[in-house]
This record gives sequence, structure tokens and C-alpha cells, in this order.
Amino acid sequence: MKITPGSVRHWKHKGDKYMSGTFYNEYEVFSKRAPDKEFIHQFSLTAPNDEIAKVMAQENFLRREPVSDLWVVRREHILTLSEGKKHSLKRLDNKDYRNTKGYGYLRKKWRQYEQNPLDEKEIMGWAKE
Amino acid sequence: MEAVTDMSESGKYEAFMKRIEDGDKIEMDDWMPDEYRTVLIKLISMHGISEIMGALPEKEWVPKAPGLGRKLGIMAKVQDEMGHGQLLLRVSEDLMKPLGRNRADIMDDLFEERLKFHNVFHMRTHTWADAGLIGWLVDGAAIITQTNMLGASYGPYARALKRICAEEVFHAQHGESIIMALAEGSPEQRKMLQDAIDRWWPSLLMFFGPESKDTTGSSKQDATIKYQIRTKTNEELRQSFLSKYVPRIHSLGLTIPDDTLRFDEATKKWEYRQPDWKEFKQIIGNEGPKSQDRLNLRRAAYENNAWVREALEA
Repeated sequence: MKITPGSVRHWKHKGDKYMSGTFYNEYEVFSKRAPDKEFIHQFSLTAPNDEIAKVMAQENFLRREPVSDLWVVRREHILTLSEGKKHSLKRLDNKDYRNTKGYGYLRKKWRQYEQNPLDEKEIMGWAKE
Repeated sequence: MEAVTDMSESGKYEAFMKRIEDGDKIEMDDWMPDEYRTVLIKLISMHGISEIMGALPEKEWVPKAPGLGRKLGIMAKVQDEMGHGQLLLRVSEDLMKPLGRNRADIMDDLFEERLKFHNVFHMRTHTWADAGLIGWLVDGAAIITQTNMLGASYGPYARALKRICAEEVFHAQHGESIIMALAEGSPEQRKMLQDAIDRWWPSLLMFFGPESKDTTGSSKQDATIKYQIRTKTNEELRQSFLSKYVPRIHSLGLTIPDDTLRFDEATKKWEYRQPDWKEFKQIIGNEGPKSQDRLNLRRAAYENNAWVREALEA
């Protein structure tokens, strides 16, 4: 029987097996805009199975922007950090030797030898030569 | 690291407020004060449900929209609104999980009238001009409240709003396009548009909520400002709406049904006739012209689509 607005008076969702039970799984959605781009997190969704999750991911989050690939992951399969553990992501400010900042003096040195320094901008630019 | 878990409740609260003040974002599994969680659940559930309750009547304009282009445009908007509902309900569900609550509770709260939806979606739409006006001015008002929360301290909500606001830009222009066609149309079309403004003006003022809780007995604006979920008060948002839209309405040769409306150069504020806040309370208490019909539309939608869920389960 088709239910028309007005004919349904009492509806309880609590206890409804679709709404309250384990019918829906949680997924996290990642996509990339172009083949040479990184995957980025879009958002989460709920779906009853993996196939629908992929369709929903496209329908919910990728209706306009360019997209070349899609990952849909069950949330329970993602390893996360607790709030406390996130503090361990902060780095101490004594790691100059890991980046070019620690070698900043070379710029002055090369100038003495009348050479241009080969910095990040220069080296990455070689891709276009 | 241990220091974080061993802290007393007041220590945790202070650390939490410090994080917010430093511009850090709170994530769903992070410690948060109960009040913060409750305020967010209320706000975001109401926001999410309003998107859905707004999309249901709007979809009724698809067959009535004049021409294929307009039908496709409004159909895309309806899909966006349902998508916004999906995003926001996800954010709410995650916040509710530790309390043992889920989407079923959100829907039951809606039907048992514990969860309200936006005043504008309790109103009747009469003509195609109403559909255009909703896109132009109701979505315009929604853009003002939503962009005000783009920097919200709760990360998942801020990220949802970023997606939503980007799509709202399309909705606003979709509405402007309908309005422009009517404003530049026949005298009958212009009258249709003017009638729509006259009908919707009080609802647009109400959209931002009362100036303070003294008006209607309750308001969550103080808590949302304290926790940096939003920055402006209801009245500041309403003032900003008036500044942006009154000149546009007038520029099209349309009038606003309030002869007291004026911008006071001394106070730099708009003066306007207050809408009937008693009526506002009735409307959001589901006693508006279309409140019960809209609730039944949602009930019927869930029932009529039961076969889809059953098929997916098989």
C-alpha cells in the first residue's frame, strides 16, 4: 500500500532494525582530483554494504569537482591515534640537520665561489628542463 | 602523555578551552565538556534535519518548474540539500555515539517534537516565485549563518560547513536566476515576485532567531559563542543579512513590507519592525501552516522507500 502524507500518524524509529541495528556500516571516503595528485579525505558516510558505499561516496561528495580515483574504507579498518598520542606528533625544534635550513650557510659560500646555490626551487625546476 | 589522561575534570576543561583559544580543532574522539557535546548535538541535528525537511517540499517544485533547464537546476539543488543532511547527520551521530544514541533517536526526536526544524520550512510555498525566493533569500540567510561558523572549533562540523557553503553559492545563484527572470518579466510575473517577498519577509527576519533568550525563553547563542562554534550573535547576523539584501531587493524595484525599515547612520544599524516572536514559537513548535504535513512527508518517505532497504538486506 502506498503511504501518502497524512496517512501515517505513528512512526517509531527506535527499535527499527534498519535505523538502530547493525544494518549500516560506517565508511570514510578519500578521492583524488587527478592522476598526479594525492588522495585527500572527503568525509564519512553510512551504507549497508561496500557496493552501496561506493555509489554513495560518488553521489554524496563528488558531484562537481574533477575526480580520477576513489577509495572507500570501513572506518573500523582505519588505525587512529588517541588524543594523548597525538602530542607525540609534535616535533622538538632541534632538527635543523634534517632539512635545508641547517645548510643555509652554503648559499653564502657558493656566492664566494661565484656559483648559484642549488636550492629546492632550482632543483625541483629541473623537471621542466 | 599520561598527564593528559590523569588530569582532573577542571584541568581537562581548562586544557580544552586553551585548545579552542589557540585555534586548535576538536575531533570526535577527543575529550570535550558535556555541555559542548550537548550544544553541538542540538545545533547540528537541528541543522541536518532542517536540510532534509527543506528538501522534501522543495522537490515538489521539480515537476512544476517551468522548462527542462529549471527542472534540472532545482533537482540538483534538492540533491545537494539531502547531501547536506547526510553530512550533518553523520557529524551528529558520531557525537551521540558515546551517549548510546543514534540516527533513530534523531528521527524520533523530530517526530516527538523534541527536535525542531527551521521556521522557514514550516511555511507554505504558493508560486514559482516562492521557489525562487527560497533559493535567493532563504539560502542567502543560510549562507550568512553558515559562513559565520566556518571557523567552528569542532573540526568535523567546520569541514562539513566548508563543503556546504561551497554548494550554497550555486543555490544562491540558482535563486537569483529565477528572481531575475521574474523581475524582468511581465507585470504579472513582477507581481508574483512582490507577493512572494511580502509573504516571506517576516519568516526571513525570524530565520536568525530572537535577539536574546528574553524574547522566546531560550537561545543557544551564548553557549555557541563561548565555545567558539560561531562568532556573531543572532542580531548581528540579521543586520548583516539586511545590509547585503535590502539594497538588492530595492535595486530590482521591489519593496519590503515594512515602512519603518531604515538604516540609522548614527548607530550603523538597521531599524525594522520586529516579527511576531509569539508566532515564531508556535511555528517552531510544529504549529506552523505546513508543520504537520512536512513531518508526514518525511514519515511517508521512510515508509514508501522501505522496499529499498529490504532489497539491500536480501
